[in-house]
Amino acid sequence: MADNKDEIYSESSECSPSSTSPMGSKYRYLFHRLCGSWNTSSNPEARRIFHRDVEKEEFQYASSHCLTSYYSVFVVRLAIMIMLAILIGLLTILTWHFTKIYTTKSLKSLAYGLRYELLQRPILRMWNILNSTSEITTAQVKLSQYVIRRYSNPATQAEQVELYEAMRAITWSLFASRKALNSITINYKNGFVQAFHRDLKDNNTFYIYSDLANYSMGASNSNEINSFSKHQAWDDKSLHGNYSAIWYREPLDPVSGEKIGKAMKIAPEDLINIAGLSQVPDGVASWHVAVSKFTDSPLLSAALPVWDSSNKTIMAVVGVTTALYSVGQLMRELVELHSGHMYLTSQEGYLLATSTSAPLLANSTKPLQLKMAVDCEDDVIRQGAEWLQRTYRNNFPPSHEVHVENVKLGHQRYYIDSFFLNLKRLPLVGVIIIPRKYIMGQVDERAFKTLVILISASLCILVIGCVCILILTNGVSKEMNLRAELINQLEARRKAEASSNYKSQFLANMSHELRTPMAAVIGLLDILISDDCLTNEQYSTVTQIRKCSTALLRLLNNILDLSKVESGKLVLEDAEFDLGRELEGLVDMFSVQCINHNVETVLDLSDDMPKIVRGDSARVVQVFANLINNSIKFTPSGHIILRGWCGNQNSSVGSPNFPLDQKKLQSLQKCREKPIASQAKRASINDNKVILWFEVDDTGCGIDPSKWDSVFESFEQADPSTTRLHGGTGLGLCIVRNLVNKMGGDIKVVKKEGPGTLMRLCLLLSAPMDVTEQQCAVDLTENGFVVLLALHGNMGRLITSKWLQKNGVCTMEAADWNGLTQILGELFHARSSAHNTDFDAHYPAKEEFKSKLLNIRDMRNPVFVIVVDIGLLDLSTDIWKEQLNFLHRYFGRAKFVWMLNHDTSNNIKMELRRNGHVLMVNKPLYKAKMIHILEAVIKERNLELQRKTLTAPRMKEGDLHEFLEIDSTQFDATSSDDSDISEIGGSNPVSTNGDKPVEKIAKSHPSSPYHMNNALVNENEYLEEHNMGKEESSSPSASYGTGDNQPKSQSTNESSVSTEDQDEDSGCGETQRVTSSSKTVHGKKSLEGLKILLAEDTPVLQRVATIMLEKMGAAVVAVGDGQQAVEALGCMFTAEDCRGESLQKGITPYDLILMDCQMPKMDGYEATKAIRKSEVGTGLHIPIVALTAHAMSCDEAKCLEVGMDAYLTKPIDFKMMVSTILSLTQTSLT
Amino acid sequence: MDGIVQLQRQLVDYNASLFHEGFLDDQFNQLQQLQDESNPDFVVEVVTLFFEDADRLLNELTKALGQPSIDFKRLDAHVHQLKGSSSSIGAQRVHRVCISFRNSCEEQNVEGCLKNLQQVKHEYSLVKSKLETLFRMEQQVLAAGGSVSR
Repeated sequence: MADNKDEIYSESSECSPSSTSPMGSKYRYLFHRLCGSWNTSSNPEARRIFHRDVEKEEFQYASSHCLTSYYSVFVVRLAIMIMLAILIGLLTILTWHFTKIYTTKSLKSLAYGLRYELLQRPILRMWNILNSTSEITTAQVKLSQYVIRRYSNPATQAEQVELYEAMRAITWSLFASRKALNSITINYKNGFVQAFHRDLKDNNTFYIYSDLANYSMGASNSNEINSFSKHQAWDDKSLHGNYSAIWYREPLDPVSGEKIGKAMKIAPEDLINIAGLSQVPDGVASWHVAVSKFTDSPLLSAALPVWDSSNKTIMAVVGVTTALYSVGQLMRELVELHSGHMYLTSQEGYLLATSTSAPLLANSTKPLQLKMAVDCEDDVIRQGAEWLQRTYRNNFPPSHEVHVENVKLGHQRYYIDSFFLNLKRLPLVGVIIIPRKYIMGQVDERAFKTLVILISASLCILVIGCVCILILTNGVSKEMNLRAELINQLEARRKAEASSNYKSQFLANMSHELRTPMAAVIGLLDILISDDCLTNEQYSTVTQIRKCSTALLRLLNNILDLSKVESGKLVLEDAEFDLGRELEGLVDMFSVQCINHNVETVLDLSDDMPKIVRGDSARVVQVFANLINNSIKFTPSGHIILRGWCGNQNSSVGSPNFPLDQKKLQSLQKCREKPIASQAKRASINDNKVILWFEVDDTGCGIDPSKWDSVFESFEQADPSTTRLHGGTGLGLCIVRNLVNKMGGDIKVVKKEGPGTLMRLCLLLSAPMDVTEQQCAVDLTENGFVVLLALHGNMGRLITSKWLQKNGVCTMEAADWNGLTQILGELFHARSSAHNTDFDAHYPAKEEFKSKLLNIRDMRNPVFVIVVDIGLLDLSTDIWKEQLNFLHRYFGRAKFVWMLNHDTSNNIKMELRRNGHVLMVNKPLYKAKMIHILEAVIKERNLELQRKTLTAPRMKEGDLHEFLEIDSTQFDATSSDDSDISEIGGSNPVSTNGDKPVEKIAKSHPSSPYHMNNALVNENEYLEEHNMGKEESSSPSASYGTGDNQPKSQSTNESSVSTEDQDEDSGCGETQRVTSSSKTVHGKKSLEGLKILLAEDTPVLQRVATIMLEKMGAAVVAVGDGQQAVEALGCMFTAEDCRGESLQKGITPYDLILMDCQMPKMDGYEATKAIRKSEVGTGLHIPIVALTAHAMSCDEAKCLEVGMDAYLTKPIDFKMMVSTILSLTQTSLT
Repeated sequence: MDGIVQLQRQLVDYNASLFHEGFLDDQFNQLQQLQDESNPDFVVEVVTLFFEDADRLLNELTKALGQPSIDFKRLDAHVHQLKGSSSSIGAQRVHRVCISFRNSCEEQNVEGCLKNLQQVKHEYSLVKSKLETLFRMEQQVLAAGGSVSR
């Protein structure tokens, strides 16, 4: 994971971080999807709570995960930073290097040239000096030779003097021509000295000569002199030491050479060196450096001998000295220009010239000595010389040339270069010391500055780069963290969804397991209740237990339904059913509950509602049951109205103020139509969809508008405090919405005026085309009915009267006893007496009423029907009897119909019956009941008419006692014929509701030709029946109809189909009461005539099942395994092959096979497969019912897969088995 | 006559105790309800069938478990049969042990199987003796001229 992350990381960092890698886009997609789903989830709050546990768990994982990712990010950051640093450093160094190296190189070569040039110039000067000196010397020598030869052998003193004078003139001319000359000396053989000297310091010129007195001035003395001079000439010492010659010095005018001062006596050799013979020992020119007293610079002196004409003797020695002062001067000038130091030394190391003004002569010693370079007073020169000496000692390179850079002298670096000038007899070494600063100073400075700038710049870049990287990677790492978190979240979400799914799945799978024991409990309680031997107390206790069990089962069913709907397992049935009847039954049921609450339940269905629709009746009923139940809970007083009308899907929606827009509806229909398209096709091509609108309107506490949507959520209640008061789990409305949505409808709470809640829902159901709407068989207008509704409930009365008026029936209403009497009085007394002033006085305002009365009076032969609520009578005291008597007065003139409460005591009923009031119906009153009443009235009238015409009143009144009970529990699928009055005259002697009370009545009126549900019911029994019916309506329809196993629903299917088939009904009806079969009189042998093949290996089970079946009248053949079963059938097939006719007739030896699944030799599955295989082509299909101990749905699926038709679990439930068998055999028969 | 009444009461009590102690369940009741004039000895017949079947199965089981390599599939089939027949007569406790026996079989747990076999045998012998006692008492009542009320 970490590696992966690094990869992504580096990837995204290598490209620009903004560019999305494919990975990124994927994540982004996931993220968007998550966002989307998050947004669409309607209730994130609940979801969050749900997720909390998971999140907590995830958190630890994520934190450790984060740490590792943090480290990896850290390392990567570090690496990138280091790389950046190296890059920038390299760049810096390279830049610096290139800039510096090239400048340095070029500068160095330039500097070398400069240095060379600098040094060359003083050396050249030196060279010049030497040259000029030698030239002068040579010239002097040549001139001297010439002069001396001319005056050779001067005989006289005068000649001698003349010679000397000539020599002086020549010498002066030479001396004057060369300003740089320090002196010219001529030392004659006889020791006479002539010299010109120039003092360079004060620019004085002197002529120095020795005293002539000492020498022979005349010719006489010439020999003497010659000898002397000869002697002197050859012995220089004698000249210097022993002879105390007197020298004179005359200052001369430097330009003209005129004597300007008096000659002064000076000591010999005091001023200048006079070159003597000693200096030219071998007669060639000699060079040497000398020091003079008068100059502090060394002097270059050259000496040459002057030969006589024969070239044998030296006549004189000429010496020329040149001050090296000018070299120093030049050096100084150069150094001033260029800085640095220069010096010239002799080969031995004596300083000849320096660029400084430091003295070149050692002061301390006497006579003056030249200094060595190392002793120079100038620090730099001394140090340079020392360094040279130190470095090279005496092994100078052969040319004596040294070029050294970067020599540290003192605190500075210097270039040191030395050149060697190899003059004959005077080799010279020139050294130049130039501070490096002078040449490279700027460069070094620049280089340093550049370096500093570069380094600082690169540091800045580095820092900025690092910061950038930090910021960027921070973003990236954040993104990474987010992504990781996202992945975790997704994972958590998936897990949570999975666990939620498991839960739903589990519940859905558990449904069977949960319901079965409950059904067993209730069934057993039924058995117990039907038992005779219970005392009253026990009976009530058991009844109580049964009620509780039913409640528990209902709750269970709710939860299971919900889970089933949520897990998507619910499959809606598609069967025809009578919607009106279902709803009537529902209202009947709830009205019983409501009467105690002082709440009126009213059913108001419009006439255009299709009577028969296709759909899942149980689910539709469940929807309304839940809604009404809810309303009842929250409605302490007032009314609950269930309205229904039909809205054609093509026309505009029926109710104009309905907010649901057309588009939504159509889309709704579309998505509804798709999944059931195939189903619908199979069912009926002529089906046309109708939208049915319903409203459940109550006057309860109402729902806060903010909760209008949330009440449909699971476990949501509008007001949590109501749980205490009313109980309930909050599942009801959720189930309702789920179911309604599943049926292609919608439900919502609608704003209503006044207190209470108005739920409006639409259902999309298909109405079969071929079933033409059954209009009322009786044309109500024809018969001239006048209906007086004396009812308590305002709403019900109003709705009924409205409907009647719409159908052209004249109605009148009364809300209480007084009203009734008054209207009666008006109606009948007025008819007879035509006095109605009293009435007018009482009801002066009711003009409408009056006009109605007038209308009625105009009517020809009206039939008065007075519907009286039993509640109008004062039942608490005995007054009701008087009231009854009062009403009895009108008995002949009007038909009384009594609306009974479910708890109306038997006494009253008896009394009514005794008085001839035979038309009694239970509350509430609704359309269908009204029609029945009117039809019954017509029938009765017709009968009476017949009776009157045919015979005398032969019959006793009692025989005619009728209790018109319109069965309120008929929406149960098991019901057969109901209060359809057209059947009254028919022959249907079977009591449909095979209960004890009916049974008793059947006994008491065995010969009654058209008793329908004639019942002399005692109060208790009646109540019980009602309850039972009610519970039955909820439990079987719920447990059977909603069951996920097909056989059950199939059985329901079949029995509902059989409703149409009146002939078969009786048996079916009875199967519901099979547990009390020992007491049933009729239809005990419900399986009469059936031949059943039982394949079961366990002898015990075999025996039990056989007896059970035989008890029901079936013929049983038992076999031990599947093989035998197949063989038994095989015979049949082969036998039938022979008898073709019987095959065509469809007569089979067995009507049904009960097949155990686990059997030796050949198990049930194999056997079934074999049987089905053999049936191919014969057109036969023997119903096979599986018997298995595995109560798993997968087994069930397996059973159905191999071709079995139904499925029973062991131990065999008697009831279930019989009903299953019946449903299957009837299918095969029909 | 008093004797008969007493016997009858004893029978009823005993019957009730069987249900109360959980030896029998509702299925047995159903059997009794199925017995009528056409099948006067139906219960006895079925229960005897059960005894025979159970004896055979228990033998098979003992044999199967005694073998070195146990064929759990066969074992399971036997137990399943026993379970079916015991539940059919309402021998509740046997039925229950059979369920756990089957679980052991599925887990292929030999020890559990052996333990369960012992338990099944025990329960079976118990219910057998109880039922035999019941039938004997019924016989006595019938012999004394009373009727067995149910």
